[in-house]
Formats: sequence, C-alpha cells, structure tokens
Amino acid sequence: MSAALVELQGVTKVYRLGEVEVPALRGVDLAVRPGDFLALMGPSGSGKSTLLHLLGLLDRPTAGRVLWEGADVTRLNGARLAELRGRRIGFVFQMFNLVPNLTALENVELPLVFLGVPWRERRQRARAVLERLGLGDRLRHRPNQLSGGQQQRVALARALVTDPALLLADEPTGNLDSATGREILALLAELNRQGRTIVLATHDPEAAAVAQARLRLRDGRIVEVA
Amino acid sequence: MLLDILRLSLRNIRHRGLRSWLTVIGILIGTAAVVALISVGQGLQRTIARRVEQIVGYNTILVTARGLNLGQRIRLDVEALRAIPGVKSAIAVRTETAYVEGPGGKGFLAVLGYDPAMAEFVTEMNLTVASGRALEAPGEVLLGSRTARVLGAEAGDTVRIEGRPFRVVGILQAQRAGGFATGGLSLLDLLVISLSELRQLFPGPELVHYAVVRLADRADMALVRERIRAHLSAVGERNAALTDFEDLTRNIQSVIRGVQAFLAGIAGIALLVGGVGVMNTMYTAVLERTREIGVLKAIGAKDSHVLLLFLFESGLMGLAGGALGLLTGLGVAWVATLVVSRVFEAQGAFAPALTAGLVFGSLLFAFAVGALSGLFPAIRAAKLPPVEALRYE
Ligand SMILES: Nc1ncnc2c1ncn2[C@@H]1O[C@H](COP(=O)(O)OP(=O)(O)OP(=O)(O)O)[C@@H](O)[C@H]1O
Ligand SMILES: [Mg+2]
Repeated sequence: MSAALVELQGVTKVYRLGEVEVPALRGVDLAVRPGDFLALMGPSGSGKSTLLHLLGLLDRPTAGRVLWEGADVTRLNGARLAELRGRRIGFVFQMFNLVPNLTALENVELPLVFLGVPWRERRQRARAVLERLGLGDRLRHRPNQLSGGQQQRVALARALVTDPALLLADEPTGNLDSATGREILALLAELNRQGRTIVLATHDPEAAAVAQARLRLRDGRIVEVA
Repeated sequence: MLLDILRLSLRNIRHRGLRSWLTVIGILIGTAAVVALISVGQGLQRTIARRVEQIVGYNTILVTARGLNLGQRIRLDVEALRAIPGVKSAIAVRTETAYVEGPGGKGFLAVLGYDPAMAEFVTEMNLTVASGRALEAPGEVLLGSRTARVLGAEAGDTVRIEGRPFRVVGILQAQRAGGFATGGLSLLDLLVISLSELRQLFPGPELVHYAVVRLADRADMALVRERIRAHLSAVGERNAALTDFEDLTRNIQSVIRGVQAFLAGIAGIALLVGGVGVMNTMYTAVLERTREIGVLKAIGAKDSHVLLLFLFESGLMGLAGGALGLLTGLGVAWVATLVVSRVFEAQGAFAPALTAGLVFGSLLFAFAVGALSGLFPAIRAAKLPPVEALRYE
C-alpha cells in the first residue's frame, strides 16, 4: 500500500455559534492515496464540505492532525498553506464560483497568477487546459455568457491548470441538469483514469457511482466504507 | 505579479461603473478645492511679492510708526537720512492740516508736501492731473477733485493756504485705489504743494507719515539700519520701526499663508469626506465579494494578495480622483484669478501658480487618501477565513 497523499488522524471540527458549539466532525481517520477516487456521501449537514475543506488545507482541525505527504501541516502559517493550496490542490464548487468580470481564459489563468508564473506561459497553459475540456471556442467569454455546464468545465480547467496532486469537488453536479452533470462526472472519471487523485462530495448516488470507493458520513463520523 | 493584481483591481473598478465614478467624484471635489486654493494662494503670494518689490524694492527701508501704522506720524529729518553713508536717496511723506480759503469755500484741509523724487519711489505718487498741469514753480498748488469742490476752485483760480496765495494749476485725477501711500488720506481730499513751501508754512519739527530710504549699490543693509536708528534716537523718536523688503514680504506672506492654511484645512475636510466615500465603497465591495475572496484563497491567493487587490482598488480610485481634481482645481483657480483680477483691477499681473510640488503633492495625497481609506476594508478582506468566505451567501 502506497504512502498517503493526505491523511486525517483523529480529526474533530467544532464550530462555535456564540454560546452554542456545533460539532461538524467527531473523530475522523482518513487516508487519501495517490490515484484514489473517493466519494463522500451523507445527508445535508453530515460534514462532507467540512471534511473536504480540511483535506484541502482551507481550514484547521479543532483537534487531531492533518498530514500532507507525511508532514504535519496543522501548524503551518497561512501563507504556506496558501502556497500549498495553489501548487498542489485544485477546488471545484457547486456554485462554479468563477470571477464574474474575468473571461474564461483569465479565470483559468488566475491560480498561475498567484504562483507568479510569467504571462506567456500562463496564457499557454490556460488555453491548453480549456481546449482539452472542449472550451477552445469560449476563451473570451465571461461567466454570464456561458451555460452552467460550460461554467463548471471552466472551473474544472481552473482547478487543473496547476496540475494539482489532489482535486477536490464539492457537489460539482448539484447545480446542473442530469445530462450535463453526467458530462462532468465522465470528465472526472477520465481524469482519474489518467492518474488524478480526486475526492468528491455528493448527495447523488449516481455521482458517487463513478468513484472507486464511497464513504458514508453521518453526524460527523464515517459510518460506512463501500 | 503586482502588475497582474493591479490589472485585476482596474477590472473591478471598471466593473462597478457608476459606483466607482461617484466614489472618484468624492475625491475629485476635495482635491479640486485644495488645489484651487493652494494655486490661487501661491499665485497671490507671488503677485504680492512682485508688487512689494515694485513699490518698495529689495534695497529699500521703510521708516514708519510701529506696526506699519502710516496714519501716525513720526519725527525725522529726511535731509539727515540722505546724508547717511550708504544711502542713495530718501523721501519722507509729510502732510499738515492748514486753514485754506478758496473762491467758493474755506476750511481746515490736508496739504501734502510734494517732492518729485517721490514718484520714483512710490507709484501712487506719480500724480496725474485730470485738468491743467503738474507743479512746476513755487506758489503753485494741485487740488484733489473733492477739495476743489469744497473750495469752489478750478485751474487758474487762487487759493490762500495759511494766508499765503497759491495759484491752482491743475486738478488731480480721481484714483480708486490709494490712501496707502499718502498716509491714509485719499488724493481726492488733498492739496499738493512743494515740500519746501510746506516747510516754510509749518517751520516746526518735521513730523512725517513715513520715509522711504533707498540704499546705494552694495551698501550694508544692517549698517544703514543701524545709522537710521541712531538718527531716530537723536531726534527723540521712540515709536518708529524699520521695515525692509524682506520683513514686509515675510509679514504679508505669513498672513496669506495663515489664511491659506485655514481654507486648505476646510478643503481638506472635503477630501476627508471623499475618503469616507472610498471607505464605504470598499466595505460594500468586500461584503459583496466575500465569496469571491474565499475562492481566490482556495485557488492559492495569500492574504497579502487579497490585501493588495483591495488596496490597489481604493488607491487607484483615489489617484483618478486626484488627477481629475487637479485639472478641475487648476481650471477653477484660473477662472477665479480672472474674476479677481477683473474685480480688483490688478492689471493682469495675478496668475494662479502651477508648481511641480502642487501637481505631484496633490496626486500623491489623493492616492494616499484613497489607499488609507481602503486600508481597513482591505485588511478585513485579507483576514477573512477562507471557509467562512466560501460559505457566505
Ligand atoms: N461556519 C460555520 N459555523 C457554524 N456551523 C457550521 C459552519 N460551517 C458548518 N457548520 C455546521 O457543520 C455541520 C457540517 O456542515 P457541512 O457543510 O460540512 O455539511 P455538508 O455535509 O457539506 O452539508 P450539505 O450537504 O448541506 O452541503 C453542519 O451542521 C453545519 O451547520
Ligand atoms: Mg456541503
């Protein structure tokens, strides 16, 4: 069994709403290995997004450890975490979350801007990814000039342009009709076949079916692995 | 990368369209007010410096009662001043109140002792006559137009001053400006005879409104001042003060600067209000783009990138307002000086100042107001936890 890309050890996450403590995760152990394609399932509020954010180094656990390629990153400073996110992790969201006043090409370039990649190379790489995802003729379109499926493919291109070790997708089909959703899922499956490590959070059993393994969450715990 | 972030900021500003313009206008108004006031003020200072130089001259000392009070007389002998080594020439303006009888009226009236040298010192003393001619010989008098009416006299008549007959040879042109150089008396209300005749009529001690002393080339200002003081104390004059060109300009400039600082302060408040506008716009922008901030952080933006993104936005709006305000302010200053020149008949000598300091200073200041006003919103944006920003609806 190969070494984990990212590993959660005894992770809990408690949100504080004034006086009230809301436990979102209550002791999760999880290892994501290179080449994995995991689906996180479970009812609303079960902690899927929270788990995804911890895997993506967007948030810190209340207790427990997060290991990235074997190193504890729980105590790294914000700038280092941002850099790791930029270089090694790609995010796709349910709401696409493209920057509205940038073109498709510029949106895809954005992660490379923060990494300091020079302009020419940036443009080239962004264009190549968009073309691979079938958006070669939509480079200069703004998000509001694109369909939902196209927007999600631009978002996917933005996540992939840095060639990340880990791709995280939080309900990427939640805002799409089923046909378009299937297109996105087929793309994810294809990426995984090419070796990309993916963790997908979803309600949808059909979406979860494309993954190699399914983890069921309930009340902040992993209750079933299938 | 800085440039890329700057480009992003520009995009966001353009994207907000009308709201950005309104914010920019807030800065524009403040900057325009500050620039206009400073430009007019500096122009005024320069004009006054030039005027003072014209009237008084660099190598000139003014001897007056303390506080530059020309209405109060001081005792001095202008001949003694002329005799001081290092003095090239000197004049003293002296008036006396005399009993005057004319063909149609009589009364106690002010008589000015005139010395042709005065004209070369004081432009106002370049007497122009409306009718008749200038003084040429002893026993001649010029009348101010109001005096002429009081006495019922015109050119060719004879008036008696302290009982002695003088022939009226001319009536002085009415001047709107004036009084300053003639010891607070308007030329309208004067009789002008030669200084030597005034001395014969009033042989008592020489009491003058003021004296102007011009130094010879390369004379030592401090030494001459010292000798004039010595003369004053010799004649028992304790209330006199000496003012040279530098003193005078310094005094006038400090008054102008004070007024200017006060007005610029008020204008600065307008600029501050513009800054509050920037702050408001930026807080709104941070709120509206909370989710976008979360996304930027998720794809690798550091806090510093987000901070710069928002700082550039507010700074650029400040800079735009500053540039437009600078142009507007200079335009306003130009129009204002035209109007002022018209109203005060300042013979076009008055122009607004345009210095590099004013241009770069106002641009820098407007940028700083914009950036500083945007600082707190930008810090808030940079410090947003990514997860909360992403969840924000
Ligand atoms: N910032 C927060 N403050 C307080 N409670 C929070 C916060 N974020 C999440 N929670 C709570 O943590 C729990 C887990 O939330 P999470 O978003 O991970 O669930 P989820 O499985 O992704 O749900 P969904 O399917 O609706 O997206 C929920 O009870 C939620 O209300
Ligand atoms: Mg969720």
